[in-house]
Amino acid sequence: MFDKIIESRALSYSVAIILLSLMMMPIYWTVVTSFKPDIETYVFPPVYFPKNPTLSPFKLLFESYPFADYLRNSIIVTVSTTFIVTVTGMLAAYGLSQYTFRGSSLTIYTLLATRIIPPLSLLLPFYLVVTWLDLVDNLLSMIIANIYLTYPFAVLIMKSFFDAFPKELIDSAIVDGCSRTGALLKIVLPVGAPGIASAAIITFLWTWNEFIYAFVFTSTSKAQPVTVGCFDCIGDIFVNWNQMCAGALLAALPGIIFVFIAQKYLIRGLTAGAMKF
Amino acid sequence: MRLTNSRYGFLLNLPGLLLVILWVFIPALILFLTSFLRYDNVRPIIFNGLANYKNLLNDRLFWVGMERILVFSVGTTALTFLGGLIIALALSGIARGGGILRSLMIVPWAVPAVVSGIIWKWMFSPDFGVISDLLMKIGFIDKPLSIYGDPRLAMVGVIIADSWTRIPFMGIILLAALLSIPTELHEAAKVDGASSTNRFFYVTLPLIKGPLLVGLLITAIFSFRTIDIIIPLTAGGPGRATYVFGFYIWDQIIKTLNFGMAAAASVVLFFLTAAIALIFIYYLRK
Repeated sequence: MFDKIIESRALSYSVAIILLSLMMMPIYWTVVTSFKPDIETYVFPPVYFPKNPTLSPFKLLFESYPFADYLRNSIIVTVSTTFIVTVTGMLAAYGLSQYTFRGSSLTIYTLLATRIIPPLSLLLPFYLVVTWLDLVDNLLSMIIANIYLTYPFAVLIMKSFFDAFPKELIDSAIVDGCSRTGALLKIVLPVGAPGIASAAIITFLWTWNEFIYAFVFTSTSKAQPVTVGCFDCIGDIFVNWNQMCAGALLAALPGIIFVFIAQKYLIRGLTAGAMKF
Repeated sequence: MRLTNSRYGFLLNLPGLLLVILWVFIPALILFLTSFLRYDNVRPIIFNGLANYKNLLNDRLFWVGMERILVFSVGTTALTFLGGLIIALALSGIARGGGILRSLMIVPWAVPAVVSGIIWKWMFSPDFGVISDLLMKIGFIDKPLSIYGDPRLAMVGVIIADSWTRIPFMGIILLAALLSIPTELHEAAKVDGASSTNRFFYVTLPLIKGPLLVGLLITAIFSFRTIDIIIPLTAGGPGRATYVFGFYIWDQIIKTLNFGMAAAASVVLFFLTAAIALIFIYYLRK
């Protein structure tokens, strides 16, 4: 009897739906609050379904905070980092996976080790270098830091995808007169596209979501990304919670969109990268 | 002139190696050097030997941070393991609609940690908090609760919020591991009369041991360095109730500006993380 219940599909569905509803609660609450007028925001017991949904929290957010600047900075830093990391990482992963060289296993171990180093412990030296180079409040400082934070994982993800290639595929292309770089462009790029996409998406999200380096490296909306911007908004004595939730929603939006349109790549990338210990 | 394959492979890795050397080794070197300096942005910088490390061990706050991070890290890892395992088990039994449910499971992973902290702060709000209201509706409490008034509650609140962001990753790797178990194994065990509990402990668990350890390792070392979700949520308070070790480094960098001490504390964090990683890797290799 007990076995039947444990194995029933109905139980799987009910457990999954209950747990996932709990997990979704914070997201639901952010979305709902961001569309509430003030009178429905500051009441107890709280309003679960807004009676008069409004866009004014979003409007006020952009009027009272330089939120458009935050978004612009985030986009510049994230797109540049993702581009640099994906391109250099792809070359490195191709090299590591197909052409062993002296020190290639050392390179792999170094990449693994840099994954384990807590970013917080390298924050101080990075900050010192950024001040010496006079890069405080400059987008470049964050691009540099994010490359360090994302590069090792991106290479490991792409390498695990490239490792799964049949070697003959590349060898036969080279026999057919294709150069090694030609094989990269004609075979590795198209066949390895899912791996490259996974690495690019994960790099994008990590960079977009980064907070502690950005917080220390920036001081004005000239360079502050959206994560730092959101945090600055709750620094006020009185927090406008419906505007705050509107900001939180915008900050979380790229992640949420990617999760739904590229779930498969995310899952494959994260499992592939994780198993590299 | 044609490069040998090994030269070619090295050439492809050169840009990345330069990045790693420039941006990992040099900062790490600066970190170790700074940890031996008296560098407090007040007095002139001088070489100070091991004084920073001595001060660190004599600082009560350092030990407060250590105690809090231990409680926090163990709590988060345990809750994440439990949540991730149950979700993964439930999702592994689902075929239809599994895609959308999986997407829902990953959403919290994709939300910036600092933003998660802000969202949870709003949900835990003592005045307008939805969590108070829900707990009152199910009769668990009779008046709104405030995690900002009770040190224990604050720690529980921070652990719940942080686990929320980590359960997805644990769920993903455990789900992948569960789905890779051949169904014949379970069928065979069933024919032999094994109950579902026995099959879980003697078939499922041993087969997902590797990914499970990796998931625990990653959760443990990542939660060990967490501050970004706690900064907006409790800022280490009330008092020092959620002052996890990361705050010690953070405060030295942005508040007291004692860079020598910050460096020494960072070196400690560095080695503690390495120690945790080595323990797990040892079990993984076995």
